[in-house]
Amino acid sequence: MILIIILNFSLAICDEFAFDNHSQTSDTHGNWGTQIMHVATATPKARPSAKEKARAVVRRAAGRLITRVAVGLTALLIAAGPIMAAAAEINIYSHRQQFLLQPFLDAFTAETGIKTRVVYASKGLAQRLLAEGEASPADVILTVDISRLSEYAELDLLAPVESPVLAANVPAHLRAADNRWFALSTRARLVATSVDRVAEGAIADIEDLADPRWAGRICSRKGSHVYNRSLMASVIAANGAAAAEAWADGMVANFARKPQGNDRAQAKAIFEGQCDVAIMNHYYYGKMLYGDKPEQKGWADAIRLVFTNQDGRGTHVNISGGGMARHSPNPQAARRFLEFLTTPVAQQLYGEINFEYPVNPDVAPGGVLASWGDFRRDDLAIERLATLAPDAQMIIDRVGW
Amino acid sequence: MVATFLSYWSGRPARRFDGWSVAAILICLLILGPILALWLTALGDSRGLWGHLVSTVLPRYVVNTLLLMLGVGVLSVFFGVSTAWVITRYSFPAKRVFEWLLLLPAAIPAYIIAYTYTDFLEYAGPVQSLLRDMFGWQRPADYWFPEIRSLGGAVLVMASVLYPYIYMVTRIAFRLTPASLFEIALVHDKSQFWSVGLPLARPAITAGLALVLMEVVSDFGTVEYFAVETITLGIFNVWLGMNNIVAAAQISLFGFVFILSLLGLELYARSRQRFAGNGKSAVELQPLDLGMKGQMACQAVCALPLLLGFVIPVGVLLKFVLGNPITDQLGQVIDTVGATMLMAGAAALLIVAVSTLLVLAATYRGGIVVRRLTMAASSGYAIPGTMLAIGVLIFAGVVDRAWGGLVGDPRATLLLGGGGILLTAYLVRFQAVGYGALMSGIRRLPDNMMNASRCLGHGFGPSLKLVILPLLRGSMLAGGLLCFVDIMKELPITLLLRPFDYETLATYTYQFAKDEMLETAALPALMIVVAGLVPVILMNNMLRRAG
Repeated sequence: MILIIILNFSLAICDEFAFDNHSQTSDTHGNWGTQIMHVATATPKARPSAKEKARAVVRRAAGRLITRVAVGLTALLIAAGPIMAAAAEINIYSHRQQFLLQPFLDAFTAETGIKTRVVYASKGLAQRLLAEGEASPADVILTVDISRLSEYAELDLLAPVESPVLAANVPAHLRAADNRWFALSTRARLVATSVDRVAEGAIADIEDLADPRWAGRICSRKGSHVYNRSLMASVIAANGAAAAEAWADGMVANFARKPQGNDRAQAKAIFEGQCDVAIMNHYYYGKMLYGDKPEQKGWADAIRLVFTNQDGRGTHVNISGGGMARHSPNPQAARRFLEFLTTPVAQQLYGEINFEYPVNPDVAPGGVLASWGDFRRDDLAIERLATLAPDAQMIIDRVGW
Repeated sequence: MVATFLSYWSGRPARRFDGWSVAAILICLLILGPILALWLTALGDSRGLWGHLVSTVLPRYVVNTLLLMLGVGVLSVFFGVSTAWVITRYSFPAKRVFEWLLLLPAAIPAYIIAYTYTDFLEYAGPVQSLLRDMFGWQRPADYWFPEIRSLGGAVLVMASVLYPYIYMVTRIAFRLTPASLFEIALVHDKSQFWSVGLPLARPAITAGLALVLMEVVSDFGTVEYFAVETITLGIFNVWLGMNNIVAAAQISLFGFVFILSLLGLELYARSRQRFAGNGKSAVELQPLDLGMKGQMACQAVCALPLLLGFVIPVGVLLKFVLGNPITDQLGQVIDTVGATMLMAGAAALLIVAVSTLLVLAATYRGGIVVRRLTMAASSGYAIPGTMLAIGVLIFAGVVDRAWGGLVGDPRATLLLGGGGILLTAYLVRFQAVGYGALMSGIRRLPDNMMNASRCLGHGFGPSLKLVILPLLRGSMLAGGLLCFVDIMKELPITLLLRPFDYETLATYTYQFAKDEMLETAALPALMIVVAGLVPVILMNNMLRRAG
């Protein structure tokens, strides 16, 4: 309200002065001497020519128009706020990019007739939900990485969803004990090695990256990226904090260059010969191989994927997941959407669109994913990764990853 | 209604708390609300994180941030002042074109230019490929090439798009410097630039530089991509990595206090200097004619920042747009252009109106309280966008809870979820841009302008209308233009606070750029530039007439 008043007041002033000054500025343009003279005599200057008059009228009208449009638009924008979601509609806060989400939304709307609306942001949505409190229009939260899911849970922003469908489709170790969040797909974080310069089998475990024989040959994205932080947390869980820090220290000493870029950029660096070994999420391989960019196919061909720790705890796995907002205005539809994401149709989509592994045990990885073969996954309770994330970040800070 | 309101006040002598002051104070409090919310957040328990930060990463963050500020500051002042000087002082071929072309880099988001430069200068990019072909190198180990993803790269990239802030205000300052002063320098055989132009433009240069430095401190996209570990990057590691929003708020306020102290130092340093001229000479400032060599030198001075900040990045974007089918993207991009321009236009207008009101109140009406408050209200620029957005969220949450209580419906919202919160956030963040432009404009007006008008029997309102505001028109336009392009490319605030299914060009670009899908991001990124083109040309024309 205050804002509207201030806005209208200021705009009115703007209207009064900024655009209504044709008689002063049409030809004197800030010439102070003339301004003073004008004030002193307080009489109009020499008669303006017809052209000047016309120009002044147009300028004035344009000024008024701009002001009116702005006021109207602002009122509209503000009024749009309180409009509540219609019944057959769900509102989604997503940490996943919209273009990755869209095929799921289309399929969901086609099946149920329920429309979807999305706000996508990579950070801060939990704070938005927190600030909105009871007034929040959000029904469903979708995110990647367990740390983010558990942040929502810790802030008490998620509602438990009691659903036999979800219980059947999502294994117990991939959902919260109190059913506040559910994993919807899994991704493996593994090691990529150069096909040309690294012998097959030279690296078996993630721990091998600290071996001095790889000095100057490893590439990675920043340690503080959520993927690496979770990997670090998994190493802490497996080997203890001291051993994990020693490992990270050794690996950082082996880096070929300052950590930078995303996972794809690491494959590219191997392709270009800047390094021989990199850490990456498995699905980037599929994206590069089957994407519509021919040069990236070359990057994928230059690397070999190593599913690490197959003789031990298994490869580190993270999840994408979601939950229902605590104050969801439309809980039935929200539950239905979450359920839909775990059905075979949607679970297959995860593989087809983004080369991610399904969580539903009844759905076998299809096509390309199947051709890469099965592998042993680290079956650490996924919530532990979130608990250990702050410790992981501290180690990352200390070793300068 | 406004007229009667003004004339009511104008009949009275200036007092400490009149209507202007009250309005200014209210607006300032609204703007300061979100910043205050961040301060309150920072008062929480940071769980002893500072010990860890100070002993590990913080020194590195601080040193990197300082080096980045120094580098970008020096380079952008060099670009901004040199171009403004040759444009105002000399005449040379194509000067009129350069005059507005030089503004264009301002429309390109720094993180986009970072992507394009990486593409341009990386191993597989055209520059290195050409070098390899020329010299027969085979592998990266065969030669040395500067790494663009570095501190130096970040300096180059940021200065190339941020210098227009300085160019724009400095050009107005040079143009408003009385020609007689330059003539005196000529007579005394002193350098016109070093002894007249530069000293008199100092407030304007500082205002521009302050914006540049605040932009540097709050930038996230570029430093993240170039892996330069600045304080802002640290904020996000602490917040998202350690789930510690309290410590994150504390670090961002640490950076905030730091930048404000720098500004305070500059203000103190020139507190005893006065920058008011006592009138313009009757003779217009005539640009100097130059010989062939001089003209080419002028063109080179203008061409360099233009090449770095516009030609190369836009060239790379164009390469992607032309090399990829865009038809299936086009419809959505065009819709997004409309939404972006409407929002940026409305917000820019709001900011200019608020800045004008605050600057006038601070200069002519209120006492020290109003002056300090209006200054504090333009400090939102020094806080990283995402953190500021969180401050706005907390503030809006409080407002909306009160509103919900008032109307008896806990689901009723005033700001949250609609466009209102976005406008509020833009105002809080970009108030500094409008305020800076107007303040440097009004500082150049002699006090006796207002006094003369009042002596001649005009009230305060009519004096503003007849004398002061027309003289501020150039500054209003400059501020409005800068706000417009700034808002159009703004990313973190828009991303977090926008309504459902609302895209601006920046957010639309980002979702692809984030995944380094530059070929898909290129078209909307290019549209940001194109959409910025029309207002830039338009307002440059108005500036030329008004300034």
